[in-house]
Amino acid sequence: MKLFDIVIVGGGGAGLYAAMEAMKANPALNIAVLSKIYPNRSHTSAAQGGANAALANSAKDDTVEMHIFDTIKGSDYLADQDAVEVLCSEAPKIIRELENMGTPWSRLDDKTIAQRPFGGAGRPRCCYCADKTGHTILQTLYEQCLRKGVQFFNEYFALDLSLDGSRSKGIIAMNIKTGKVEAFPARTVIFATGGYAKMYWNRSSNAAGNTGDGQAIAYRAGIPLKDMEFVQFHPTGLRKSGLLVTEGARGEGGYLVNALGERFMSRYAPEKMELGPRDLVSRSLETEILEGRGFDSPAGKYLHLDLRHLGADLIKSRLPQIREMCMYFEGVDPIDEPIPVRPTAHYSMGGIDTDNFGRTVMEGVYAAGECGCVSVHGANRLGGNSLLDILVFGRIAGRAAAEEAGGFNPSPILDNEVADKDQEIRSFMRSKGHYERYGTLREELGQTLGMNVGIYRESSKIHRGIEEIAALKERFSHVRVFDTGDVYNTNLVQVLELRNMLDLAETVAAGALVREESRGSHTRTDYPTRDDINWHRHTTYTLMNGKPVLGFKPVSMGRYELQERTY
Amino acid sequence: MTDSSKQHIEEKRDVTFRVHRFNPQVDSKPYFDDYTIKLEKGITVLRALNYIKEHVDASLTFRAFCQAGICGSCAMRINNMSKLACTTQVWDELERTREPNVIRVEPLRNLPLIKDLVVEMDPLVGKMQQFSNWVDSKMPEEQWGRKEFLVSEEEFRKYDKATDCILCASCVSECTILRANRDYVSPAVLLKSYRMNVDSRDASHEQRLAGLVGDHGVWDCTHCYRCQETCVKHIPIMDAIHGIREDAIERRGVKDTSGARHAEAFMTDIGKKGKLVEATLPIRTNGVAWTLKNLLPMAFKMVIKRRTPPPPLLVKSTSGIEQFRAEFREMSGHVAKDHEKKSGE
Ligand SMILES: Cc1cc2nc3c(=O)[nH]c(=O)nc-3n(C[C@H](O)[C@H](O)[C@H](O)COP(=O)(O)OP(=O)(O)OC[C@H]3O[C@@H](n4cnc5c(N)ncnc54)[C@H](O)[C@@H]3O)c2cc1C
Ligand code: SF4
Ligand code: SF4
Ligand code: FES
Repeated sequence: MKLFDIVIVGGGGAGLYAAMEAMKANPALNIAVLSKIYPNRSHTSAAQGGANAALANSAKDDTVEMHIFDTIKGSDYLADQDAVEVLCSEAPKIIRELENMGTPWSRLDDKTIAQRPFGGAGRPRCCYCADKTGHTILQTLYEQCLRKGVQFFNEYFALDLSLDGSRSKGIIAMNIKTGKVEAFPARTVIFATGGYAKMYWNRSSNAAGNTGDGQAIAYRAGIPLKDMEFVQFHPTGLRKSGLLVTEGARGEGGYLVNALGERFMSRYAPEKMELGPRDLVSRSLETEILEGRGFDSPAGKYLHLDLRHLGADLIKSRLPQIREMCMYFEGVDPIDEPIPVRPTAHYSMGGIDTDNFGRTVMEGVYAAGECGCVSVHGANRLGGNSLLDILVFGRIAGRAAAEEAGGFNPSPILDNEVADKDQEIRSFMRSKGHYERYGTLREELGQTLGMNVGIYRESSKIHRGIEEIAALKERFSHVRVFDTGDVYNTNLVQVLELRNMLDLAETVAAGALVREESRGSHTRTDYPTRDDINWHRHTTYTLMNGKPVLGFKPVSMGRYELQERTY
Repeated sequence: MTDSSKQHIEEKRDVTFRVHRFNPQVDSKPYFDDYTIKLEKGITVLRALNYIKEHVDASLTFRAFCQAGICGSCAMRINNMSKLACTTQVWDELERTREPNVIRVEPLRNLPLIKDLVVEMDPLVGKMQQFSNWVDSKMPEEQWGRKEFLVSEEEFRKYDKATDCILCASCVSECTILRANRDYVSPAVLLKSYRMNVDSRDASHEQRLAGLVGDHGVWDCTHCYRCQETCVKHIPIMDAIHGIREDAIERRGVKDTSGARHAEAFMTDIGKKGKLVEATLPIRTNGVAWTLKNLLPMAFKMVIKRRTPPPPLLVKSTSGIEQFRAEFREMSGHVAKDHEKKSGE
């Protein structure tokens, strides 16, 4: 294939914005977007709530300053303040830009974009389109990329970077439809592959493919990852699938009930009860399960979210989507039965370490969106800030790559590199005397992460987690792909995704162990308080000799001094 | 409250999935494999397929991603209806199977088959491009980001439902015209085109419309309503199709296309009977030869499946027909006048 100026890996909100911006910056550039699924199917479409921007449409006194403060406080002071400033001050512009290109939005009486209140925000500043904001943003970006003639390579699975010493020459990827391994020589590469919270598998609200591929590829190429221990949990995921039952159900008056029939939130938040903050409610559910007051089932332990006392009329009129979800995915009608729920891994704050322009330590390699870590979310992301993050930093990375792409001419990717990669992935198909099944390993990975590196963490448990992950990695070397065909081999894709999750799981567990404090989403029962003296800093992980080597980075401070985070 | 603490005891059953198989590397033609597994109530078809893939046959191939009915990946034909595997409960399907305890799973139709349950989506993307399924903003790009267009909530509601579309292609799979002619624009693309046309920020309305009234365009639709009945997001697709047609008659006049003849036949029927005499429509519009060649084989199948509209003699005039006729005459009067105005230009 001929040399690309920019290859973007990932067609979610971050990747598509990067593509559009790069085309805008210089239409003469040769740009490709690679995506393992059709871009319009990316996980960005799952975001329902909306995107934050201080447009001051709904609350006239809202300001960018307030947005900055809310974000820093929400991050438990681990976000970099200069990056947050970029995020929040670009926000109004980027939302208007999306509007100008044709994104549908719900509207206020004065015909401006509607905004709703969201957790952790001092003003209603979450811009929304009914309950499908991520979906409509993604559709619009995809449409605009089609309009601009962006070259898409759909259903291509990125395998690894091709390196020339310490520099990237491009990407090697597999065409899923044909099974052929192909080279994408490129002056610059942007990773926009989304999050890694799916490593918790059926304890995760994420799509099946949120397996952190970009992070794992960068990590294998020696690029550091950052703050991997921070994974956000949502209190009410459905028992079987991990899918979210949104806050709405509790907002309307739903009860959380344990196996003894108690409304157990009275123990943890006697005043707010079910309506306490997300992390507190998650921790409460987890405690109930750990202390043996949960229900048992083949799909694991769980609790009840009971809506029955609200009555059929209210459930049908105010919570139709939640009811539909429970019926579709759990086979339970909340009018007649309580909903089986448990906390679910929802968002990954950590990712590829980048500066405020999306640049990684490797020249010519960028990262943006949930797969990157600038960091604007620190230890805890605020609702509505992630869509904003992917748009703002997707655009910045696209522009930066367009500016850089001109100069450098990488040496070509050699045929034997491609052949080696082909051999490497094919080796999974070879018959082995002793073999492991993909599904078993993946299940056990989700389980050990959930039990040992989940909501509550504690030294001895994390140690066990680390051992189990190491054992799983060992067993993975015997994994067998039973489908030996070339065409659309999803069995192979799943195994490649599992390999990525295993690599990253090691860094999540390593980070959970070293960070001896509790901050944001990271809760250590043996170190229950925030320790600013020792731990007000980022962690980084660089792969050396097959193991993550730990490093630290200071948090860039600015106007806001460290304060206790109370609401 | 007392019984919120009761455990779920789930009913279990042996269920057979009769799955369409085809691997282009080894098979000369598709066949079916039966997989019988024990399942508990509350399982979706997608979870059952995942189970089969992980425990019985790893080569079974289908698409899935979000598992939450939002990404549109997992559309397939389940018991002869195109729908999302991830939002379909096995127990619901068991109630509508022909053979007890057997669920039939096939790929979407009207798109090229790749393997087992996976079809090629590129033709659909190609049509989105062909019909400019994007807003071509009235604002020059250099000015983007400075101020919002002012849009009323009322205008937003015009395209709100249409933007629910997740491009799953279920409607494409069930469309009767696409069965006969794969070049046909497709219901989802008509829906998206309509959504763009009613957006006041868009500047390409006329041009998009010109494409839509061309060959294989909006006038080929037979009003069979299959797409709307199928839509996994319950989008009123027919409103979009009628919307485009009304818009086309109003703005362009259509006396010179086969669409015009179709539309006229349609109007005459409604005027007389208050109901569409659907079975006669294709003949009047396209002539006998075309109908014989293109639609009869399909019509034959439809009769067998009892999905054909009743033959003309059996169509009863709708009650309240007098009032409807009066309204219709008035309505078509407007259209005719507008039409004269336009063609007089
Ligand atoms: C249920 C849910 C609700 C949410 N609600 C909100 C909300 O209300 N507000 C908010 O701000 N945020 C929300 N979020 C978070 C937000 O949706 C995500 O963080 C964000 O959409 C991520 O976007 P992205 O572009 O980084 O990645 P994604 O949209 O995940 O896209 C990743 C892309 O990378 C591609 N890719 C991945 N691996 C490979 C590979 N190996 N080769 C090729 N391509 C690859 C994929 O095909 C895909 O196109 C929510 C998340 C979830 C799970
Ligand atoms: S109504 Fe028209 S578009 Fe819809 S299925 Fe029938 S022929 Fe196709
Ligand atoms: S219109 Fe409905 S059925 Fe058709 S692609 Fe869109 S969501 Fe799917
Ligand atoms: S897997 Fe996304 S719609 Fe079914």
